[in-house]
Amino acid sequence: MQAILIKGGRVIDPANGLDATADVLLADGKVKAVGALRESDVKPWMGKAAGVEVLNAKGLWVMPGLVDLRAHLGEPGNESAETIAGGALAAIHGGITTLACMPDTDPPIDTEAQVQFVLARSRLADMAEVLPVAALTKRREGRELAELGQLVAAGAVAFSDEMRATDSPSTLLKGMAYASMFDRPVIEFAQDPNLAGGAMNAGYEATLAGLPGIPALAEELAVARACMFARETGCHYHAAKLTTRNAIRAVKRARKLRVKVSAATCPHYFALTDAEVRRRYDTAYKVFPPLRTKDDVAWIRRGLREGIIDCISSDHTPVPPELKELEFGRAPFGIVGLQTLLPVTLTELVHGGELPLAQAVAAMTVNPARLLRVAGRKGSLTVGHDADVALVDPQETWTLEEAGLVSRCRNTPFIGMKFKGRVKFTIARGRLFDVSVPQAAGA
Amino acid sequence: MPTQASGETPAAPPIAWRRKDLLGLEELTREEILTVLDQASGFKEISTRSIKKAPTLRGKVVLTLFYEPSTRTRASFSLAAQRLSADVQELDLDASSAKKGETLVDTARNLRAMGVDVFVIRHQQAGAPALLARSVDSSVINAGDGTHEHPTQGLLDLFTMREKLGNLKGRKVALVGDITHSRVARSNIWGLLKLGAEVGVVGPKTLIPGALKELGVRIHYHLDEVLGHYDVFNILRIQLERQGAGLFPGMREYNLHYGIDERRLARMKPDVLIMHPGPINRGVEISHGVADGRNSVILEQVSNGVAVRMAVLALVQSAREGK
Repeated sequence: MQAILIKGGRVIDPANGLDATADVLLADGKVKAVGALRESDVKPWMGKAAGVEVLNAKGLWVMPGLVDLRAHLGEPGNESAETIAGGALAAIHGGITTLACMPDTDPPIDTEAQVQFVLARSRLADMAEVLPVAALTKRREGRELAELGQLVAAGAVAFSDEMRATDSPSTLLKGMAYASMFDRPVIEFAQDPNLAGGAMNAGYEATLAGLPGIPALAEELAVARACMFARETGCHYHAAKLTTRNAIRAVKRARKLRVKVSAATCPHYFALTDAEVRRRYDTAYKVFPPLRTKDDVAWIRRGLREGIIDCISSDHTPVPPELKELEFGRAPFGIVGLQTLLPVTLTELVHGGELPLAQAVAAMTVNPARLLRVAGRKGSLTVGHDADVALVDPQETWTLEEAGLVSRCRNTPFIGMKFKGRVKFTIARGRLFDVSVPQAAGA
Repeated sequence: MPTQASGETPAAPPIAWRRKDLLGLEELTREEILTVLDQASGFKEISTRSIKKAPTLRGKVVLTLFYEPSTRTRASFSLAAQRLSADVQELDLDASSAKKGETLVDTARNLRAMGVDVFVIRHQQAGAPALLARSVDSSVINAGDGTHEHPTQGLLDLFTMREKLGNLKGRKVALVGDITHSRVARSNIWGLLKLGAEVGVVGPKTLIPGALKELGVRIHYHLDEVLGHYDVFNILRIQLERQGAGLFPGMREYNLHYGIDERRLARMKPDVLIMHPGPINRGVEISHGVADGRNSVILEQVSNGVAVRMAVLALVQSAREGK
């Protein structure tokens, strides 16, 4: 494999406290050296057949390849919407080199064979590395526990039943207790299903839109309860999508009590509000949990600054166009997000000075890597770690065009929006992808 | 627009109406609302003639696309379109079968391909008319979408109130009943606020969205406390399904707390207007005597509905043709 020398970029590697102009040498699929590199450092790789590709990174930000905690990849069962290989490719276009896929497939990822299937597909695609999150219960039915120990042995990085386990507090409690033996987090959906039936955020906008509302209370209730379960069981609870003021407060309280809780949010939750939903009944804005109010957006941003929300994930959810072309109340929830995770975060939070760059990068690299227990090889530019790198032009302004989306589905409200900051190159385990090419038309 | 051919017919709208669609009263300006109401006054006169016809929509195709059962609204639209000489086609679709089969957008594109000029749509999903309006270049008139809006009902209520009370600025209008699930309430609220009226809603807390306060609407939970305050009580139909959903205990308690009967009427202003968009649950939200009593304008609302819908049909069609 060809060695790559990334020269003269601004290297942002929060895990190692590094934010400085430096060179990065990658070879044999690993990080070999970081710093002001001399010719002698590179020499050992010059003589090899493949040689050294030199990337001039002057003016670019060089960061660890992003780690996305949350993507729905549709395979198996819903391949017309997305596949593991398709998701892994879309991820590369977003600077993401590691992504966790959710088990709400058909059949669900609830056996060793299913876990191995995902890992095999990921290896075959050889792009972003896909790590399976397994179901907490058999068939994801929320009743009997899945073979969690065997799932871990097969390579599952976390457990989640998505919406299902919340239905039954006793299942969730037992599942968290059992999962804690294997040092794997339980990712809970964080919406009480009995309260969360609706189409958009409950409140002023839903009242005027005449759409059934999903109250913020549904989130607070589920998050507060799961925090209590984490306290009782010692299980690491990860709140998948925090979107409301009071749920963020619930996590903050639990953190103070030293309960093992981590939390993520997604770019659309801090970039958009429910006011946008009402304007056109545009199903591209229909997502679960729903887009919230301006006040919630301010709380999410504050939660990120304070580190209460320590991860930003895409929640990539492909929905085919024929389903998004339905009436708002009938269309499925979901936004594709692999390609917009970084640009939206940079545009909305970093360039505006709301979130320090290092903290934003940490929320998309080392923090999720730790959560998935892969920080020993992912999420930082530590020598010996996987050669996963994202190179970003921080100043480039560009407009997201539908044709620039490589995912099979294009259900995102960000089409037509302008961003500042663009991924130029992604390197995944030493493989270099020039991702500015297929989107050149959008520049 | 009606021409001289039918004798004395309304003049062209005094201000430009540029909307090919009528999706709700929220998006209309005060002037646009007044344009419709003025236009409707002219059309109302046609209804009193022995030959109730104007040539305004001659050669145009109006389709009523109803995904929800309706007698009054659909008949009113059909009559309005026929009085304007349009060809009218009625299509009732069962939402449950529509769910399995063709999507709304596909249905609409097919019908458009057959030459439909104006779609009049009723649908149980809020926003369905907006979706339709984006999908076809025909005019789209919302005849009620879920719990969102029912703009022509709102307009005919405004029309009726204006006919009886004159200028609505500063007038006090109460909507009584299930506000949460009422598209009629939303259209009334928007229209009344834009015309400067004071708007109150009265009903059980579980059926009144608190967010209405942010619009400047007064919220009351006890009808008896406000009987003497309002000039108009617009009474909404209460639906039994809400009882099953645990939103209120039942018809008996509802009737005792919110039913408008002679006893309550006696405590209202003497010339108070009693309105109801129909269909009426006699003996539940309104007593037999009040529904048919001298303060009731319920049947006038129905008559005015035809004139208001004629005005809306004529205006959206003229906008589409760029007249």
